[in-house]
Amino acid sequence: MARKLKSRLTTALALATGPVLFLAACGGGDDDSGAAANEGPVTIEFWGWVPGLEEAVAQWNEENPDVQVEFFRMTGDDGDKIPAAIDAGTAPDVVQMSVHSIPGHIVNNRLTELTDIAGDWEDRFTPSSWGSVVFDGALYAIPQDSGPTGLMYRTDIFAQHGVEVPTTWTEFVEAGRALKAADPALTIAQFSPNETGFWIQSVWQNGGSWNGIDGDAWTVNVADEHSLEVAEVWQTLLDEELVTTVEMWTPEYWAAINAGTIATVNYAAWFPVLLEESAGATAGNWAVAPSPTFDGEESAGDTGGSVNVIPAGTEHVEQAAAFVEWLNTSDEGLEHLINGGIFPSAVAGLEHEALMVEEPFFGGQVINEVFADAALQVPATWVDGPTFELTQNALKDEFAQVANGRKTFAQALADLESRTVADLTGMGLSVSE
Amino acid sequence: MSTGTSVRPAGSRRALRSGGIRWAPYVFLTPFVLLFLVFLVAPIVTALYTSFFAVERSGLGFGNANESVFVGFDNYVRALSDSGFVSSFGRVLLFGVVQVPVMLALSIALALVFDSAVVRWKRFFQLSVFIPYAVPAVVATLLWGFLYQPRVSPIVELLESLGVSANFLAPGTVLWSIANVTIWSVTGVNMIIIFAALQTVPRDMYEAARLDGAGELRMALQIKLPMVLPAIFLTTLFSIIGTLQLFNEPMTLRSITSNVTGDYTPNMSVFTATTLGGNINLGSAMAIILGLVTFGLSILVSVVSNRRRGATR
Repeated sequence: MARKLKSRLTTALALATGPVLFLAACGGGDDDSGAAANEGPVTIEFWGWVPGLEEAVAQWNEENPDVQVEFFRMTGDDGDKIPAAIDAGTAPDVVQMSVHSIPGHIVNNRLTELTDIAGDWEDRFTPSSWGSVVFDGALYAIPQDSGPTGLMYRTDIFAQHGVEVPTTWTEFVEAGRALKAADPALTIAQFSPNETGFWIQSVWQNGGSWNGIDGDAWTVNVADEHSLEVAEVWQTLLDEELVTTVEMWTPEYWAAINAGTIATVNYAAWFPVLLEESAGATAGNWAVAPSPTFDGEESAGDTGGSVNVIPAGTEHVEQAAAFVEWLNTSDEGLEHLINGGIFPSAVAGLEHEALMVEEPFFGGQVINEVFADAALQVPATWVDGPTFELTQNALKDEFAQVANGRKTFAQALADLESRTVADLTGMGLSVSE
Repeated sequence: MSTGTSVRPAGSRRALRSGGIRWAPYVFLTPFVLLFLVFLVAPIVTALYTSFFAVERSGLGFGNANESVFVGFDNYVRALSDSGFVSSFGRVLLFGVVQVPVMLALSIALALVFDSAVVRWKRFFQLSVFIPYAVPAVVATLLWGFLYQPRVSPIVELLESLGVSANFLAPGTVLWSIANVTIWSVTGVNMIIIFAALQTVPRDMYEAARLDGAGELRMALQIKLPMVLPAIFLTTLFSIIGTLQLFNEPMTLRSITSNVTGDYTPNMSVFTATTLGGNINLGSAMAIILGLVTFGLSILVSVVSNRRRGATR
């Protein structure tokens, strides 16, 4: 009997420690760099996810025998490996990552500062994308793509009910009321608590940001007047049931889009291709207009895109930077990126002929004209903080309560602010009021 | 085990060995011990060690040395004062209090039915009950998630046509929607364990009971159930541990509904702290706490089970 109990306890212990195992897998190691830099060709490892990067790398390798790039395509959760790889000194030399995750890596000393090498590339990128890669005067990443917004709307539905396409958020609310009056099953948009990009783009459009830098301290601005103005619009939309609450990307969402009960999607430049993929039956009934503005202010939103970084400990920084420069600013590099389906952050990319094609799904409209105009109108105000992922995670939870009617947007943002402040101070960082 | 009674050929072989050291057991044990040390003991020690440290930062955190300093129980205090983390334990316990008995009752009932002679195509139905266990939790949740969503779910549609408005993903119901997925997934495997235990019950006991005039129901309740009690306790133990470690199902359902929060279960809190927050130290402390709670509950179940078995003998 005693032995049985013992073996049972061992089993219990074994099963109980599962999460510990899981954690240990994330542990770091020591730096193993230090291989001698010889004469001759240098090899650079590049991790990225844009479709068609293989062809871009092949072209570079052909033209640059001295700097050979090895490409690894990131899929699924590969991004989660990056921190451990950098800490272990086994990181690639160039990595594509979300612009929002930069500061989280900076505070862990995981990125090479690029100010000396690329500090003067500013003019080659849109002001907003450049503004998001410079922290306290130091450059840490090169913008790759961004997500300027446009209003994708159902031309047939707006025409059928004789409603004008809104140009301001006030008009947007009014159009929502008109559409609902015409057809009670119809909503002008949807509210998706989990899809934080909707929120970020509007706060950004209104000249806001979640974080900022004030001297030697971070600021938390998730509930400032820029955000509260956005909250006001959404509170009205929600209270009057002008939007339906449905999580994006779910079968339920696409069913609603295909059924034509959601009349607009105000979202980033990377969304149209996904819309076409999942709502092919609605082809020809869509068009893109500039996003509604906050009463008269000529500005557009942005969800943020991706950047290229050079991890700390990289040996061949200059060669890596040269490749990043070619990929993101040269005509050939941009053509590969654009053909891969992303919306470039480089100004040269906005005028690229590969970008300006007629889209049959949107009735032959050259929709990227709208997005390219928007890209230059996005305010250069957005600064990410080191706790971006936690803030984003908390926003989902807070907005879930808004959707359930337990909190207003304003209350949710106030709670989000205290959670974000707690997360930052919990990391040992200073927060300025 | 009766290792001591094995018959040994006399003399010759034994003489070849120096000093008669019995090394064979150690050779056989080595792979296990090595794996046990590397993949179980070492990670626990690492996590325990890590949980007492924190990365020191100041100001913006740019250019800091980022050195780990000893902070004692700070991470534990922080974990235990995180209301989301603490209440996630309450949530999984509530979940377990309902899910485990329901699932076990189903498993026991199915095992008894399959054990009795009344079922036709026994193998077919047994396999049908077992198959969900072979479906990965993420896939099972996606599948059920589809059935929970209005507009696309035939179940919701059917209920609505009957005048019932069902919302499987509402804040109050989503926990039980998760329970449903886990019950669907694991009932089969627990049924197999209990069914296997039933097979070991000597058949002559049934004959004796029948001669004494016991019906099928009485035999099930008074002979079969007590005989398979150890198996039931074992499945209970596994189920409780599984409940505390709930992760895949709620994490997957979170992509469908925001009513599953980021700290819905203890393991999701650990995930948030480490993967999203990048705080391995805090995550380690949370994992150790979860491990201790699970360990404590497992001991409790073991002790209760041993008492019960002592009493029934």
